[in-house]
Amino acid sequence: MNYLQYYPIDVVNGEGTRCTLFVSGCEHFCPGCHNASTWDARKGLPFDQTMEERIIADLGDQRIHRDGLSLSGGDPFYPGNLPGILKLVKRVKSVYPQKNIWLWTGYTLETLSAGQQAVLPYLDVLIDGRFELAKRDLSLPWRGSSNQRVIRLGERRYAAADGGC
Amino acid sequence: MTEIIKRDGSRQPFDAPRISKAVASALHDAQVKDPDFAEYVAKKVASTVAGQALVDIYDIQDQVEELMMSSEYHNAARKYIEYRQTRDLEREARNALSRDILGIINQDNGDDNDALLNENANKDSKIIPTQRDLLAGVVAKHYAKQHILPKHITAAHERGEIHYHDLDYAPFFPMFNCMLIDIEGMMTNGFRMGNAEIETPKSITTATAITAQIIAQVSSHIYGGTSINEIDRIHAPYVRKTFDKHLTQGLRWIEDESKAREYAMEMTEKDCYDAYQALEYEVNTLHTANGQTPFVTFGFGLGTSWEERLVQKSILKNRIRGLGRNCKTPVFPKLVFAIKKGVNFSATDPNYDIKQLALECASKRMYPDILNYDKLVEVTGSFKTPMGCRSFLGVYEENGQLVHDGRNNLGVISLNLPRIAIESKGSEATFYQLLEERLALAKEALMTRIARLDNVRARVAPILYVEGACGVRLQPDDKISDIFKHGRASISLGYIGIHETINALYGAGDIYDSEALRQKGVAIVARLRAAVNQWKEETGYGFSLYSTPSESLCDRFCRLDRKAFGIIEGVTDKGYYTNSFHLDVEKKVNPYDKVDFEQSYPQHASGGFICYGEYPNMVNNLKALENVWDYTYDKVPYYGTNTPNDSCYSCGYEGEFDATSRGFQCPQCKNRDSDKMSVTRRVCGYLGQPNSRPFIRGKQEEVVRRVKHL
Repeated sequence: MNYLQYYPIDVVNGEGTRCTLFVSGCEHFCPGCHNASTWDARKGLPFDQTMEERIIADLGDQRIHRDGLSLSGGDPFYPGNLPGILKLVKRVKSVYPQKNIWLWTGYTLETLSAGQQAVLPYLDVLIDGRFELAKRDLSLPWRGSSNQRVIRLGERRYAAADGGC
Repeated sequence: MTEIIKRDGSRQPFDAPRISKAVASALHDAQVKDPDFAEYVAKKVASTVAGQALVDIYDIQDQVEELMMSSEYHNAARKYIEYRQTRDLEREARNALSRDILGIINQDNGDDNDALLNENANKDSKIIPTQRDLLAGVVAKHYAKQHILPKHITAAHERGEIHYHDLDYAPFFPMFNCMLIDIEGMMTNGFRMGNAEIETPKSITTATAITAQIIAQVSSHIYGGTSINEIDRIHAPYVRKTFDKHLTQGLRWIEDESKAREYAMEMTEKDCYDAYQALEYEVNTLHTANGQTPFVTFGFGLGTSWEERLVQKSILKNRIRGLGRNCKTPVFPKLVFAIKKGVNFSATDPNYDIKQLALECASKRMYPDILNYDKLVEVTGSFKTPMGCRSFLGVYEENGQLVHDGRNNLGVISLNLPRIAIESKGSEATFYQLLEERLALAKEALMTRIARLDNVRARVAPILYVEGACGVRLQPDDKISDIFKHGRASISLGYIGIHETINALYGAGDIYDSEALRQKGVAIVARLRAAVNQWKEETGYGFSLYSTPSESLCDRFCRLDRKAFGIIEGVTDKGYYTNSFHLDVEKKVNPYDKVDFEQSYPQHASGGFICYGEYPNMVNNLKALENVWDYTYDKVPYYGTNTPNDSCYSCGYEGEFDATSRGFQCPQCKNRDSDKMSVTRRVCGYLGQPNSRPFIRGKQEEVVRRVKHL
């Protein structure tokens, strides 16, 4: 898995103060895409152990509080990224069970592959759906077009555990 | 017959006796007794111009000079030349005065007029009352420079070595800068305003109405900002009176007392919200004698009683709603919200809900800025709201009690630190040597401010000195000077451009990236502080060090230095100087690191400071905003978050507009029509609306260059 950008402190991709990673690789090719330079999976730098350790260290920073990790791209659910993403979210959740993980994907929750679904238990919020230029709306929080959804997976899990829904 | 062309271009017959008169007067001044010499010069000149139809006055004067110089009366010649020069200077000054006056009427935005008309983003120079104020300002400034201030002080100001702030008001008028109004004393003891005797209000509605009247009056008598310290505490008794009134009413109609109470609370909440809405509208519709909306600041947040909490919530909810049909972001009053551990800092504190409201308000309306209680007490000695946008009083006691309300600042003189650094040509020793000279100059200039108020009587500003705004009730014929002594008032040395100073003095390397340079920056400010401490010791006046906001000064000093020294990279090249100790606005760092960089300065510049960070729109991320606020708590006393939330009346977009050198633009529909948008940016400690009232050029340049810290 390659990544193109890493923000150790970010406040515009998800609630609270976060670390945000933009990975390479996307097969949606949405017209009007904000990050078209991230489509090619070969672009950027390899996401290695050093980078993983850096994220773990930043999330645990004692000086500047972080609420969690945001994964964007490209598409973290791009098939080639799945092993890397799964390893990362597992590690983050095991070290910091109280910190949340947000993930942006162009796929929709209902049509996820088995490999993509395997990541879901470690996520708190999923923003799904392709970017549709005709539905572009700058006023929407955390997403670019109105067809995209902010799905609070954590709340769904709690509801399911309570026998609700 | 010969005609003379005068300086103004008009013509007049040649008049030889005028020459002999001028020469005779020069001879007299030089104590030369030669009654024939003057006649001789006049005749000689007359003979050379004879036969010419037209002669320029300058040629005639040159001939007189030459004749006198070639005579034995060199002293008299010198007197003649001096006299001519003085007249020329006076004439030049009169021309500058006419030029400035014409500029107000013509409003052509040439270089000089940009400085005059856009000097203050809060003044709309297109309207008549403001033009009258500008006119008075131009005359007051010229008169003060020519006839009140010592020549070398005026010259240092003109050269841009020091800046004598607010020359358009003081020292021509015996006015002072900014203050904390003693509203509590005025309302408790009653006062007279205009033709009306005002007694203690009996409801919150009346209390806020009277507060607006007091603000209008006070703002017309001082030139800086007016602040109300702890308005929640001060207005609380009137909220209680409103409640009592409603309860009495309720008990008359409702038998169940708890129901009656509920009714009274609900009615009071409504009254209180409406009262602050009215106050906000009043402040924004007021027009003071100074030709502007008053610079008003409300400080609040520490009160935990039901009444005080209600005041706090009413102020914030009104601000969140916005002004008028378009729900525009108001620029005034500035809101300053105090944060204190045990009151509103943590989720378990009683006022934590109000902190959340304050966060929402800051994300939508940029204000409130925050005062971190413990740090403020550590740095300035006690808790108080800033006067105007960032001027802080020191500790002062009367009868063993801390007193803040009714105190004031007497004015500011700022040092052009980058200029001293440029002149020092890289030598730190020269820098500190020159700094000593400039400090002496600044002190002398500050003393002229004090001297101007020396024999002034209370009757020049009854609202301040007779009716209680300054916390005293003098007789109209009493002298006012005593209330400024022993540290009751502050008087401030200001400074600008630590960033450019370090660049000019030490060359390569950015102050942010070098620990050594950081220490150099702090050392300069510490030296300034030591100077004001010494002055305080010597004079007994409350000298303090103030981090100048430099709304227009950022432009002026840089412009003058560019003229004198050319374009110097990292110093004069940007067209503005950086605000006081602030980090270069173009430096891309996160807000946490910026706070760390700036936190060493307020303790030295305790007479005035503010720190801020540039944020993206934070409406959807209050949690992240709170993280930063919390981080500042034990680091800086006073912090503002610049979270632009503009609105486009064309497409309805709410968020941040793009700042370009051609103005502001909606990112969604590309609208650039300034009438169809509301754009709010921080000018200095205050906000401004640059789409409707443009900033001065250097300031706009600075705004365009600001980078986000997140």
